[in-house]
Amino acid sequence: MDDFFFSLVLAGISVGSVYALIALGLNLTFWTTRTLNFGQGSLMMLCAVLTVFLSSQGLAMMLAVIGSLLVVAALGMFVERFAIRPALAAGGGSMGWVVSTLGFGIVLQGVAAKYFGSQAMAFPEVLFTAQDYVTVFGQHVSLQYLVVLALSVSLILLLELFVRKTVWGQAVHAVSHDPELALVQGIPVRLIVLGSFIASSLLAGVAGILSAQIGGTVDPAFGFDLVLLGFVAGVLGGMGTSLGALAGGLAVGLISKLVGGYISTAAEHAIAFALLMAMLALRPQGLLGRPEVSKA
Amino acid sequence: MLEVQDLRVAYGAVQALQGVTLGATAGRITAVLGANGAGKSSLLRAISGIAPVAGGRILLDGRDITALPAPARARLGLAHAMEGRRLFRQLSVEENLRLAWNFGSRNVPLDQAMAEVQQRFPILGERARTPAGLLSGGQQQMLILSCATIRGPRYLLLDEPSLGLAPIIVRQIYAFITDYTRHSRTTVVIAEQMATLALKVSDRAYVLRRGRLVLEGSSADLLAGGPEGTLVANYL
Repeated sequence: MDDFFFSLVLAGISVGSVYALIALGLNLTFWTTRTLNFGQGSLMMLCAVLTVFLSSQGLAMMLAVIGSLLVVAALGMFVERFAIRPALAAGGGSMGWVVSTLGFGIVLQGVAAKYFGSQAMAFPEVLFTAQDYVTVFGQHVSLQYLVVLALSVSLILLLELFVRKTVWGQAVHAVSHDPELALVQGIPVRLIVLGSFIASSLLAGVAGILSAQIGGTVDPAFGFDLVLLGFVAGVLGGMGTSLGALAGGLAVGLISKLVGGYISTAAEHAIAFALLMAMLALRPQGLLGRPEVSKA
Repeated sequence: MLEVQDLRVAYGAVQALQGVTLGATAGRITAVLGANGAGKSSLLRAISGIAPVAGGRILLDGRDITALPAPARARLGLAHAMEGRRLFRQLSVEENLRLAWNFGSRNVPLDQAMAEVQQRFPILGERARTPAGLLSGGQQQMLILSCATIRGPRYLLLDEPSLGLAPIIVRQIYAFITDYTRHSRTTVVIAEQMATLALKVSDRAYVLRRGRLVLEGSSADLLAGGPEGTLVANYL
């Protein structure tokens, strides 16, 4: 197999699995509230930046990661309470949450730039070093690609199992499809909505750490493009399906890396968005999205 | 005992219920009658906590629940079968039942509750793995009633259980409701447009018109034509 092609495919799968994680995070809040947290990118950035900061203060790497994830989870609760709930309470299909979550993201980015500087900072080697590799089919494969892929796939499978097999997972489905019916059946809708924002923020944090690890650096503006691509992945795969997020993420990752390698890196994102538009025209429910089940 | 005192419901400037007082007794069926838009659904929705209450009180066995959120009322043993075939259409029959059973106070273990449902409506057992959205209208109504009763509620609100169903299915549904009420000692409130049907199974009835109570009395009296013999002509 052509080495160049092989390395592009690997890089594509690796960034694609990060896109899938981001898409999954967006999915979660979309399930419960039909809203997306556009501040997701800033949460990714903050988690990575905080990890760098905490470990530079002498904290053990694992503790730095956990501490950053806790902060990001708390911010997820903040977003639900102050950016989403008031906007939804306004009723009438208010789109206020678009502005409020975007605003939250921009403020967070500004705060990070103020305290940590707007320069890119080197991200420490948490899980592996860039030099670690294994041999697959006679090719050297950087270990980080495999770890990122394995982590993303297992998180997605876990979530899919949770939603399909557990009664709490089905309660999430219930809140998504008919919140009123969920309420009268005694399902704690508020708690589930809050939980979805916490889980979504944690996924953003993990995705942030992983992509900082792959790229090697992080800066306050980091995360914005990533969220857009995660969004494309989500819509491509079918908003609301976990396996769709995986398929969409891998597709976006592979296509953008192959386009970057063989055509031009400038065309990477353009092609991703062209793909999004084509998908919306041809198959609005996404690759794995299900149309509504109903009779008559 | 379920009591509603001077209850008002308003959606913005639109007043759906303008001060309604009524009571429902345990082990009996209480009917709420009225034409489309009279406020029957708003009344039931306010009782279960999903319509905005603008004034008045709701009491369950003397306890004021007016300020409680809907899930907390469900945990107190209140169940509501809403109108309009409200089911989780993509979940299977079994999953719908399990969800309805799972959250809040429940009186029987799941296996036993499932077995009771399947004994009452064998078709739901046969179609346990079918998505609820693919059931026929009658089967959906059976599933809705089963979901509402699976936890053994103390108070049961039924909104238009006969709507859009064939007469033979309506008879089956009503047979279930009367039988269930008699055996479980549940406080049942039924909102119906089909007055005769509801009056036959209920003990007491209230008639709503444009958000106000216009008539109340024993169902037998109303069935005989109302105190002034004008029920159907004037209100329905």
